[in-house]
Amino acid sequence: MSSFFKLKRLRFYPWLSSLLILLIVVVVYGWALRGLKLDFELLRSSWPYITDFITRLFPPDWKVLDIAVKALIETVQMSLWGTTIGAILSVPIAIASASNVAPGWLRSLANLLQNTVRSVPSIILGLIFVAATGLGASAGTLALGIYTIGYLAKFYQQAIEAVDPHSLESLQVIGASKLQIAQYGILPQVLPLGLGYTFWMFEYNIRAASVLGVVGAGGIGFQLKSYIDGFEYTKATTMMLVLLVVVTVIDTFSSQLRHRLDSM
Amino acid sequence: MNDYVIECHNLETAYAPSLNRPILNGINCLIKRGEFVVLLGLNGVGKSTLLRSLVGLVPSVKGEIIINNVEMNSRTLPKIRRDVGMLFQGGGLIRQLSALENVLCGCLGKRTTWQTLLGFSKRDRILALELLNQLGLGELAFQKTSQLSGGQQQRVAIARTLIQLPQILLVDEPITGLDVIASQQVMQTLSELHTQQGMTIVAVLHDLGIAEKYAQRAIVLDAGRIVYQGHCDNLQAQFARVSG
Repeated sequence: MSSFFKLKRLRFYPWLSSLLILLIVVVVYGWALRGLKLDFELLRSSWPYITDFITRLFPPDWKVLDIAVKALIETVQMSLWGTTIGAILSVPIAIASASNVAPGWLRSLANLLQNTVRSVPSIILGLIFVAATGLGASAGTLALGIYTIGYLAKFYQQAIEAVDPHSLESLQVIGASKLQIAQYGILPQVLPLGLGYTFWMFEYNIRAASVLGVVGAGGIGFQLKSYIDGFEYTKATTMMLVLLVVVTVIDTFSSQLRHRLDSM
Repeated sequence: MNDYVIECHNLETAYAPSLNRPILNGINCLIKRGEFVVLLGLNGVGKSTLLRSLVGLVPSVKGEIIINNVEMNSRTLPKIRRDVGMLFQGGGLIRQLSALENVLCGCLGKRTTWQTLLGFSKRDRILALELLNQLGLGELAFQKTSQLSGGQQQRVAIARTLIQLPQILLVDEPITGLDVIASQQVMQTLSELHTQQGMTIVAVLHDLGIAEKYAQRAIVLDAGRIVYQGHCDNLQAQFARVSG
């Protein structure tokens, strides 16, 4: 009875519900901040150390440019193959997870697999594959391949679920087989969106590959960590600048491509 | 053997909690070969569900559907679907494919998966182009469907249905969202299919004037039941009487 009156009151005072939501948001953020145990005094006193570190990064040492470019090419190669392996493996998992295509029991299994892969950090995957194949780019590529599944399978799944149901029903009424429906109904609708997601993932994996280098899984990250460990900060800056240029160029290129695919 | 191509006997579909009743609640109707029948009624009375149940998209829980003297069940459904074409609201086209490719999709039921794996035969492509030409879309055959107007899309959907050579055509709100000219073109095409090819047409419409102009018989639904079956004269008064 009391909950009925509460609901009635909310209906007559709509601003009450907005205020309630605002209060909940403030409480959640306050709770999260308390958990961080942030010491603002320490942050203020450490400012000189931060500026000192930043000044030691400059000017960049261009003598290592050739090493940076070489490492970066390896990173791009890792990302290319890692994304491709991940994309291929993501397709069947996405189909098995899509609510408009797969039966319930298969969806649960495929979603569990997706969640499992997504909850393993890339750096752990890097460590696993370094242990399996040794230091170098091959470990990084395999780690990226598995890491990619966690994202692309979900994106592909959403693209499949966004397919217009009437268009599939119309093919069903025509008498098309399940494979024909997949080829002529689902694939043309999913392909532009799926390719857009894959390009985004390729670009994302270049940055992810840099992190994997920290555990010895190849790429520019390996060089970057070596320079930082050896206090050669100006050389590390060159590495980061080269990475910045490449990520910007690829981002511009893939944004244009994704825009064109979206309009298909 | 009788002359009815569509027979529904005490047809009932699953209970819909939102409506507090089965969507279709004891439908009895007979439609003769070569008839142009219009389904009328307010939103949510079950017009589209009735059409969808005639091609097995909505399963029935009671009663029977007989199409061309064949009782509908999971075994006979593929055979029934070969005789029935359905035009969905909005066309049900694949927007990313060209007009020609969409029309060719109408051949999928007649070809095996292997036959269409690498595309369609030259004969099918010529037939699809001829159909598009007949419907005044020859020059737009290679245009993406998403770039066509609503009326043009609806005519592509008609061409896709015609390539199946159906005896019965079910049409779900073919002119919703179209302007006056496009509506007239679509209705004229349907009328020609009925008069020139003797095709049986069952269409869901909302415009009583258009229904009177093109259809021979009207079926009015209310709350999942048929409340009027008869001629299309003075539909406005008939409709007001049964829905009021």
